[in-house]
Amino acid sequence: MEGLQTDNLLLDVRGLSKHFGGIKAVEDVTFGIIKGSIISMIGPNGAGKSTFINVVSGLYTPDTGKVQFEGEDVAGLPAHAMASKRLSRTFQLEELFSSLTVLENVMVGCHTCSSSGVLSCGFSVPFARKEEKRLQAEAMECLREVGLEERAYDTISQLPLGERKLVGIARALAMKPKLLMLDEPAGGLAAHEVERLVQLIYALREQGLTIFIVEHNMPFVMSLSERIVVLDEGKKIAEGIPDQVRSNERVIKAYLGEEVA
Amino acid sequence: MKAISKTPIVWLFLIAAIIVIPLVSGSYVIGVMCFVAVLGALGVGMGVLMEQAGIFSLAHPTWFGLGAYVSGILAVQGATPPWLGSILGAVFVAILSVIIGAPLLRLRGYYLACATFGLLLVVEISLAQLGSLTGGHEGLMGIPPLSMFGFTFETDLHYYYLSWGLCLACLWFLHNLMGSRVGRAVKAFSDSEVAASSMGINVPAFKLKIFVLTAVMASLAGSLYTFYLRFTQPGIFGFPLLVELMTMLIIGGGRTLYGPLLGSFVVLWLREFIHTYLGKLLPRMTAEVDAIFFGILIIVILIFMPGGLAGWVDKLLGLNRRALGRASD
Repeated sequence: MEGLQTDNLLLDVRGLSKHFGGIKAVEDVTFGIIKGSIISMIGPNGAGKSTFINVVSGLYTPDTGKVQFEGEDVAGLPAHAMASKRLSRTFQLEELFSSLTVLENVMVGCHTCSSSGVLSCGFSVPFARKEEKRLQAEAMECLREVGLEERAYDTISQLPLGERKLVGIARALAMKPKLLMLDEPAGGLAAHEVERLVQLIYALREQGLTIFIVEHNMPFVMSLSERIVVLDEGKKIAEGIPDQVRSNERVIKAYLGEEVA
Repeated sequence: MKAISKTPIVWLFLIAAIIVIPLVSGSYVIGVMCFVAVLGALGVGMGVLMEQAGIFSLAHPTWFGLGAYVSGILAVQGATPPWLGSILGAVFVAILSVIIGAPLLRLRGYYLACATFGLLLVVEISLAQLGSLTGGHEGLMGIPPLSMFGFTFETDLHYYYLSWGLCLACLWFLHNLMGSRVGRAVKAFSDSEVAASSMGINVPAFKLKIFVLTAVMASLAGSLYTFYLRFTQPGIFGFPLLVELMTMLIIGGGRTLYGPLLGSFVVLWLREFIHTYLGKLLPRMTAEVDAIFFGILIIVILIFMPGGLAGWVDKLLGLNRRALGRASD
């Protein structure tokens, strides 16, 4: 945190902890995300990265600590309230809606940007029909952005893993996010798919989006990120630009074991 | 659900059939078709609730019964005209389903099924025990016919049109709803609650909305049922009706919107045939034959047509999800 200007911070996390019984999944983590930057979180398996993203996105309530989004205290808010503050995320295991088409999946992402309710939808009033058209156009635009418009009417089960990850991103983009959190976006992808993903993330960054990536794939993270946070056994052990992190002894130890090369 | 290109034709065909049937048939057919419509309206809501929203609530006969009793009691006591009683019944059911649904819908799967089954039994027993108000086990007698704006619904034919009107209205409403923002939210949380809530969907609130909506539809169907029969009894709204609805859902196919209506048609007419033909052959065993026949039919359907008749028909017509999605433009 030191050296960063607080008023530039989109997300400000201080002393965040989450315990499951005796397991300290996340322990006293403090860091911030500057507007318009790409920041990544890395760490070995079980380091608490997924727990961290789940706490920030509101799926878990933190035990202690503060989370501020645009200067507003949001720790402990439920996930749907976090989403309506335009904090959107993808999932490690995609979590797409398998009974909906690709387009409909992305349209669910438009939920917070639409308002027609049970009665206006059920009676199909003009307002609801007009809104439905708008959502379709918006969702199609998001699919175009990730390059999947051809797949709009396919079911999720017809898509390969790489494209499913992209549907997850399109769905998150449909929320018109201020902060996009990607949980292991490159996990399980082939090299050319990773390349496509890198291009997409750069394009999103160009549009001024702030992106937070939790990832395993080191070359991917090193090439993309402006700052990297390293988590080990729930604690933050390092933070800095990729080169600083790469040469950090504690990071090497956490990744390679006790013997420091 | 929005197969736009084929949908108007299907609707026209359905409406034409409903108009033509009473012209070419007698009071027997009209009477059975009334029950097909009322149970169809009930089943369509239950199908959406259980199969599309994934809310395994067994309390549907209860909302049907409460709608029947509230409007019936109000009419017998002369407190309100029957049509207003039906609306008040729906309001009562809406309020009660909010009060009961808010805590119960936190439960999932079997736990929700157990809790709502408890509700079904409690309401059935309460209706039987509140003798001075409900007529107890004997049932509520002397219910006047439904009348509205000086017109009294007296004959089977009147109720035929009324019940099919209600049934199609429920079907139309749910068809619109499930193809809209709300329907997508409902299908989304039944697939993944975690992802749905991360998309900004308030899952408990949407569960409650769909629960209350289908309860209100059931209540309106119950009011219509009670004014048609002009009699009601606690036993009608218990376990046997639940089994009947589940049979309709399995045979018709609950994942498809019109499946339960098709199920209602098939189950009620099959039963009529069993009673007509087997009644002569095995006069003392009709009830047993009926139960064995539907038991076997359910097993056969579950093995060979897990999507029910409606799922099977959709497959035949090539109405797969791809086509449904493309048609929603």
